[in-house]
Parts: sequence; C-alpha cells; structure tokens
Amino acid sequence: MSPQKTAAVKAASETQLIARAQQGDEGAFAALFEAHKRRVYSLCLRMTGNTAEAEDLTQEVFLQLFRKISTFRGESAFSTWLHRLAINVVLMHLRKKGLQQVSLDEVDTSQDEPVKRDYGDEDRRLMGSIDRISLSRAIAELPPGYRTVFVLHDIEGYEHNEIAEIMNCSVGNSKSQLHKARMKLREGLRQDRNKAASGASVPAEQAVDER
Amino acid sequence: MKTAACLWFDAELGAYLEGENKPFVASHAQECPFCQVVLADLEQLCSLARQLAPAEPSPAVWANLHAVLEEEGMFRRKLGAWDWFRQLQFPQHPAPIGALICLMVLGSLLTLPPVSLERRGTPESASPSKAAVVSLASPSENSALALAIRDMETSYRAGAKFLTPEIKATYEKGLNSLDASIRECTDSLQQQPDNTLAHEYLLTAYTRKAEVLASALEYEGR
Amino acid sequence: MLDRQGIAKKGNWAERGWKGLTLLLVPAAALLAAGNRLEKTFDTSPNPRISVTNVTGQVVVRGWDKPQVHAVYTVVSPRVEVDTEVLPRIGAADKIHFTTHVLDPLVSGNEQAADYTLDVPIGASLEIRNPQGSVRIEKLQAEASVESVGGSIIATDCSGHLAARSVGGDIEIIRPSGHVEAYSITGNLHFVSPATSKLRGSTTSGRILYEGDFVEGGDYVLSDYSGDMDVICPASASYELNAKTVRGKLINSLLITPRRRSPSPFSSASSLLGTHNTGKATVELKSFSGTIRIRQP
Repeated sequence: MSPQKTAAVKAASETQLIARAQQGDEGAFAALFEAHKRRVYSLCLRMTGNTAEAEDLTQEVFLQLFRKISTFRGESAFSTWLHRLAINVVLMHLRKKGLQQVSLDEVDTSQDEPVKRDYGDEDRRLMGSIDRISLSRAIAELPPGYRTVFVLHDIEGYEHNEIAEIMNCSVGNSKSQLHKARMKLREGLRQDRNKAASGASVPAEQAVDER
Repeated sequence: MKTAACLWFDAELGAYLEGENKPFVASHAQECPFCQVVLADLEQLCSLARQLAPAEPSPAVWANLHAVLEEEGMFRRKLGAWDWFRQLQFPQHPAPIGALICLMVLGSLLTLPPVSLERRGTPESASPSKAAVVSLASPSENSALALAIRDMETSYRAGAKFLTPEIKATYEKGLNSLDASIRECTDSLQQQPDNTLAHEYLLTAYTRKAEVLASALEYEGR
Repeated sequence: MLDRQGIAKKGNWAERGWKGLTLLLVPAAALLAAGNRLEKTFDTSPNPRISVTNVTGQVVVRGWDKPQVHAVYTVVSPRVEVDTEVLPRIGAADKIHFTTHVLDPLVSGNEQAADYTLDVPIGASLEIRNPQGSVRIEKLQAEASVESVGGSIIATDCSGHLAARSVGGDIEIIRPSGHVEAYSITGNLHFVSPATSKLRGSTTSGRILYEGDFVEGGDYVLSDYSGDMDVICPASASYELNAKTVRGKLINSLLITPRRRSPSPFSSASSLLGTHNTGKATVELKSFSGTIRIRQP
C-alpha cells in the first residue's frame, strides 16, 4: 500500500474509533489511548522533566479528551486537537506550580546565568559525544521556560507563531528564547562530557570563559 | 579572540538554524574555528532532538484512567432495561428525546381507559380517597416516564460539578421551578382528579423537565 | 579588544537590532490591543445552512441580499479558538459551521467569550447554540433555531419558521411573520407586533407579554405556569378566545361574547370562552397560578 493510502486508511480507522468512543465504546477509548499515549506522555515528560508528574498529566490529558470527545467534529486532525490539549494541560500545571519562568514575556534576563561559549578546549566538539539519554537528561535540567520552547519547537515541531500563541508572547521572543535554550543545552552537555572525561565534577567557574 | 564578526554570527545564528537565509553565518563559520564548533554542535543538537524516541508511560496510567472513566459512567453499559432509552443519545439530541417522552405520554393517554377521570361512586359518597386519585393517564412518581426522568436527573447530578457556576445556577433554577409545578399539579390533582388543565400542566412539566435535563447532560459532556 | 572597524560594525549591528525589535514590537502591540479579531468572507449558495455553536459572548446574525457569509469573530483569550467548517470545501458553500472551542479548562467566565457578527443570505437557515451568551437575529426568511441556557434571544423581522428555546434567558420576538415557537422555563417571553399565523409561547415561571394584533385565521397559544400573562391587542382585533387558569386570576377589559360551555368536564378556577368582534383568529391563553390580563393598548 502506498504511504498516501496507508495514511488515508489510518485516518478512516481513527474516524471510526472516534465515532465509537463518542458512543461510549470502551474498546475505542482503549484504542485511542494506545495510539496516542506515547506522544502525549513524551510531551508531558519533556516539558516537566519528571516521570511521576508526566504520568499524572498524561492521565489528566486523556481524561479531558474523553470527557470532551463528543464535541469533536473533525474540523481539525484529531492528533492536532489532542496535542494542543496536552500542551495546555502541561502549561497550566507548570503555572500552578508557580514556575514563573514558564512565561516567555520579554523580561529582564540580565539575572540569567550568561550563556557560555567555551573556547580553547582542544576537543571542542560535541559531535559523537552525546546520546539520546544525555540529551533527555540535559533537557530535563533546563529552566522551565527554555525547556518549554525547546520541546515545542525542536522536538514537537511547532512553528514560532504557534509557540507565540500558546505561550502568549511575541514571535521574536520565542525565537530568542529558543536560541538561548539551545546554547544552554549545549553548555550543559559539554559540562556533562567534561565531568565524564575527568571523572570528577568541574566547578562552573573553572570552565573557559567567554572571550 | 571574539571579534565583532563573532558577535554578528551570534546574533544571526538562531535565524540561520531556523532556515532563514543568513549567508554570513556559513561564511564566518568557515573562517572562525570557534564559531564553527558552535554551529556544528547546535546543528547536531537540533538533529538529535528531532530523533528523540517517544517515551512509554507505565500501565498504571491506563489503569487509573480507566477507573475514573468507569466511575464517571463514560462507558456504555451492557444493554439493560433502560438502555434502549439511553441509546437514543439524548445528550446529543434533546429535542428527539423530548418528543419521545411526549409520545409516551400521549400514547398512555390514548390507549389507557380513562378510569381515573370518572368520579368513583355517587356524588353523595365520600370524596375519593387519595390512593384512588392516581391517574393512569398522568405520570405518577413510579410511572415509566417519571423513572426515566429520575434516571436522567441522577446522571445530571453526578456531572453537575463540571458546569460553570452561572450555567449550573440557571439549570438549578429551571429545575426547581419545574419541580414546584409538578408538586403543585400533583397536589391539585389529588383534590380535583378530573382537572384536565392540571393534568395537562403536569405532563408539560415532566416534558420540559426531560428537555432541561437533556440539555444539561449535553452541556456537561462538553 | 575591538578595533575601530569592529566598533563601527558593532554599532551597525546594534542599530539593526533596535530597528528589528521596534518593527517586531509595534505590530505585536497593535494586535494585543485589538484582541484576537478575525474576519472572513465565504461565497455561498443562495440558501445555505449556517450553524454557530458558542459558549458565551454575543452572537449577531443579519440577513442580507448577497450570496455570501461575512463573518467577524473576536475572542478574548488565546486559549479560545473558533473553528470553521465549510462544505463543500471548494466552490459556493452549502453549509458553514462555526464552533468555539475552549482549549484550556482553566479559562472561565468572560475569558471564554467569543463574539460573532455574521451577515448571511436572507434565505439562509440557521442553527445557533449559545448557552451563556445572547443571540440576536434579524431579517431572515428561512427557518431559524436558536437555543440558549441563560442568554437572551432577540429575533427581529424574521419571516421563516422561528424556534427559540432557553432555560433562563428572556426571549423577545419582534415583528415575526413566519411560524413562531418560543419556550423558556424561567425566562420571560415578549412578542411585539406579530404578523404570523401560528404562534406558540410557553414559560414555566417567567412572564408573557403579547403586544399586537392577531392575523385572520391565525392560531395563537400562550401558556405559563406561575408567571403573569399580559395580552395587549387593539380594539379592532378579531379572535375567538379560550382563556383558563387553575388557581390564578383572569382579568379581561375587552368585550367578549361568551360561548356556551362545552359539556366536557372542565374544572378551573377561572375561564373565559368567547368571541371578540368576528372571531377570525384563535387565541388560547393558559396559566396555572398566574394572572391573565387582556386589554387594549
């Protein structure tokens, strides 16, 4: 079967599942959960950095989904609808926790730790030295605001205008925060690599500073 | 040494990674080994981020979710005595269910003998006992219609917490008004069993109550 | 250390940065000030079906003589979306569905509001559901169904079949000329200058006010349970009246020629059966415990 036909069959199957779920079909609920649980859970996990919170939030997302499923009329793709719902649930959770950094409003960032560019190391490249586990850990350690925009853009594939709408900020702010998030991730990964290489933790001030 | 060109590189790097046309970034990276490292690192980072595999939640997530959904009555139960009624999906179709209830009422009016509309005994005899007042042509507390509405009301009460305060207040006011009219009509019929207007109002009140509950159930489902 | 060329380059770079920031912020500020307002125009068939499913906010629909739907909608919160489904997707639309989605469960109250203003072909049939907000429709010729829970409904100059239902919202129907059905539980009903030949109005505890004449051959039924009912019609009105109440009062100021009561058992506290003038329309007024008043303006 061609990719287009496969996608069409899959969409038709999902439409049937949704219709059955709207009738209260328990099997349809289970099938929809099975089909989308990984993506929703991954989003929750990457945005919170905590497995227990991510599981609670995943449960909350699907609970809201199934309660509202009768209102879904197919105006947009089901996965898009579900994804937006998941993002909103996570953002509300983060805001309720009092994590002000989640807002990406243009605020004074002068108190932020400066993003460092390490120069002078012989082995300066990260290439070949980071794996998915290290990257996942580094993402979890990002400040919430940086983490959110990085996850939404570089992992989930949202455009900046969509992120700006979700986060209630400007497109420019979304772009600048993303760049800072990437630089911060890079710094974090390099520090992890240096620690692993030296076998001991290296205080931040001993890293080669920006010129 | 970090030059002004490196600063300019810093300023345009983000846009370059977004796919914007920033030829200076690529050209400077070829001249400056330090900026070249930064560019390569970030490109690798972005590439790896896109390849991150989805994580798998524990089975407890579905178990908890299933338990909550079952408690909320989200799953369609196996067919029982009243499931033919629920299958009409009245949360989505309040008008048809209201019409069905009207038909049930009309059917009972047309097919049952109007025993209750005739006075029992002679005018000189004692007034009909309250027990005899129960009209076969009007909904009583235990009639099929009243039971169906009671079922709907139970479902509504279970989900009322999901309504906004304003909406809930409107529905509650409406239901209280209808309940008052049902009580008053029932009392009136106990005193005047042949009061056709009271019969009519009682049937109307039950019908309206079914419609209001259907509307509330649909709203809760949103 | 920066050389002179470096300083100049840095200055240019900083200047560009400020210009870019200004260019970005000014339109963003304008957008923020205006809220989120969208305007769309759809080409349609002459008699499309239009539906609006809203949560709260004002919905205004007006008929016009173009085969187009012009929609303007404004949302307060970015967590509220308006989805539009147009069928068919290509060519003149036969059906357009507008649906408001509240994406964030923590958005509440007025933040959920979406205001719609639609200009639709006068032959468009309409279905509007706006539980917490008000609805106003004008100058429509085809059927219209409007449902609200707490919001008010006002329909003006509609000549198609009009069905308006609310739980607590007031309903006002002005100069209708098609069939009218208006039902509420606790809301008030107000009919102004009806030119319709069939009208049904019912409320449980709200009031009913009917101001206007009765069309020859028309059929009018007004019913309430505990609210009062006022019928204000001209002295020239011609109708056959059947008014009854179980526990309320009946106050009539117009000359009625009584009709002999039918032999069927009929029990009510007050009733009036008779004819005003030549009895060309049929008017039935019912109340359980409210007061029914019939008078001239």
